Amino acid sequence: MTPAGGTGQPILTLSGLVAGYGQMTILNGTSFSVPRGSITTVIGPNGAGKSTVFKTIFGLLPAREGTVVFDGRDVTNRKPRDLLEAGICYIPQGRNIFPELSVRHNIELGAVAAGRGITDMPQRIEAALDRFPALRQKADQQASTLSGGQQKQLEIVRGLLLDPRLILIDEPSIGLSPTMVAETFQILLEQRARGVSVLMIEQNARSALAMSDFGLVLELGRTRMFDDAAAILADPRVGQLFLGGSLEKAGEKTGAA
Amino acid sequence: MDQFLQLIVAGLATGAIYALAAIGFTLVWQTSQTINFAQGEFVMLPAILVLVGTHAGLPVWAAFAVASIAFVLLFGFGFKRFLVEPMQRHGVLPLAIATMALSVLVKEAAKNGFSAEAQPFPSLVPDGMLSLWGAALSARDLAIVVVAVVAIVGLQLFITRTRTGRTMQATAQNPTVARILGIPVERMILLTFLINAVLALVASYLVSPVYLAKFSNGESIGLAAFIAAIVGGFNQIRGALAGGFLIGLIDNLTAAYVSSAYRTAVPLVVLVVVILVKPEGLLGRKEERTV
Repeated sequence: MTPAGGTGQPILTLSGLVAGYGQMTILNGTSFSVPRGSITTVIGPNGAGKSTVFKTIFGLLPAREGTVVFDGRDVTNRKPRDLLEAGICYIPQGRNIFPELSVRHNIELGAVAAGRGITDMPQRIEAALDRFPALRQKADQQASTLSGGQQKQLEIVRGLLLDPRLILIDEPSIGLSPTMVAETFQILLEQRARGVSVLMIEQNARSALAMSDFGLVLELGRTRMFDDAAAILADPRVGQLFLGGSLEKAGEKTGAA
Repeated sequence: MDQFLQLIVAGLATGAIYALAAIGFTLVWQTSQTINFAQGEFVMLPAILVLVGTHAGLPVWAAFAVASIAFVLLFGFGFKRFLVEPMQRHGVLPLAIATMALSVLVKEAAKNGFSAEAQPFPSLVPDGMLSLWGAALSARDLAIVVVAVVAIVGLQLFITRTRTGRTMQATAQNPTVARILGIPVERMILLTFLINAVLALVASYLVSPVYLAKFSNGESIGLAAFIAAIVGGFNQIRGALAGGFLIGLIDNLTAAYVSSAYRTAVPLVVLVVVILVKPEGLLGRKEERTV
């Protein structure tokens, strides 16, 4: 479960991904690579296709063209179950719990895709509960009684049950208190320390980039920039992007896709 | 007092039938947004199939076995595969209308293909009276309540105590997340359709010895089950259970103390009152569906 020695090979590579909803194409040949063992944050304006990229990687939206390669294996258009088994977990935006099941049973459902090799699931669930006292305290209550931040913790804990090697996490900070955001980021940092790669979408771009290794700017379904997080953070054009502008200045508009 | 106790037991027996149908109705709604207007016919048909078997010369046990298997295959698996799946992508309403068409089809097929008359149905319980606290109670009514309660408790234990049951609940509560966790969503939905068919089958075998097997039996049962499900909250098994028993009791008490001519109207009155006072149902929660 530890990453293979060579840090050179990316954990995930998208090449020319085309996908969308019905007639609408959102991803117009999206290509990028996620370095192994890093935290990479995806930023970009609304409608840039950030969430769509995640859905397409995770097999929830068909890729019409292009490939998704995970750890050297082509996983384009595979089912979520196969991707979970391969070592990817996806934590979407918003609330993703089963409100009327207990906290423990919610976590337990993270193990549905476990292969036969994993036999210590009960211990893993207990360990996860020990790690988060708030979840332990409410283990046998309905998950709907958790606060927003605790629900997010539950989702992350559930996603970590199968020891993923890549975590796709979409807007984890939305609706959370600053303390909870810090705690959530802390979990991701711990995962990175264990060699897990993280690909994160965050509207809270400054604090996300501050803890990331790499930043990736997506615009109109294409990768506009990919660099060290610090460099992205320092780039004046990025500030402009968050104010709603485009990467290109009005005067020098060339062939933006 | 004797009569009152008898009425309560009779009401619980009627209510148990309604509850079985209403729970199946609710399950199928929860996992696939199918409003099954043929639910009453689902309760009518298994008994007719058994009688088709016995009339064809099968021994009673074999007729029960063949009818049960055929019914669960056709109206559990087949119903989902050939009616719900093709209609579902067109929306909740077209699907509901398709189930109305199915109800007419099943009813008329039973009438034309088998009999327009009420037929006696073999009872699994001897017809007799038990004396309890001075009241003479129908053994059949008591048996209906016991069998139905055992079936419902068994279902509840399956849903809450087994991993598969909880996976089924998860699918009903949040299918999008279920898919993301690798839960075989389609298989879980199929399971609810199979359970619905089995509940209808049990209700059919319980009710038919009492009311005889007739093609039109589904009309009143379907309506009562529908109302019971709504009164109970539409998205709760325990709501459907409570709703079923409530409607059954009111049904029988009205027939005895008010007028048997108006008995079928009373559940509708209850429905109107519940919708006005507590639109989410007695035990229901407000629907929060995010797409």
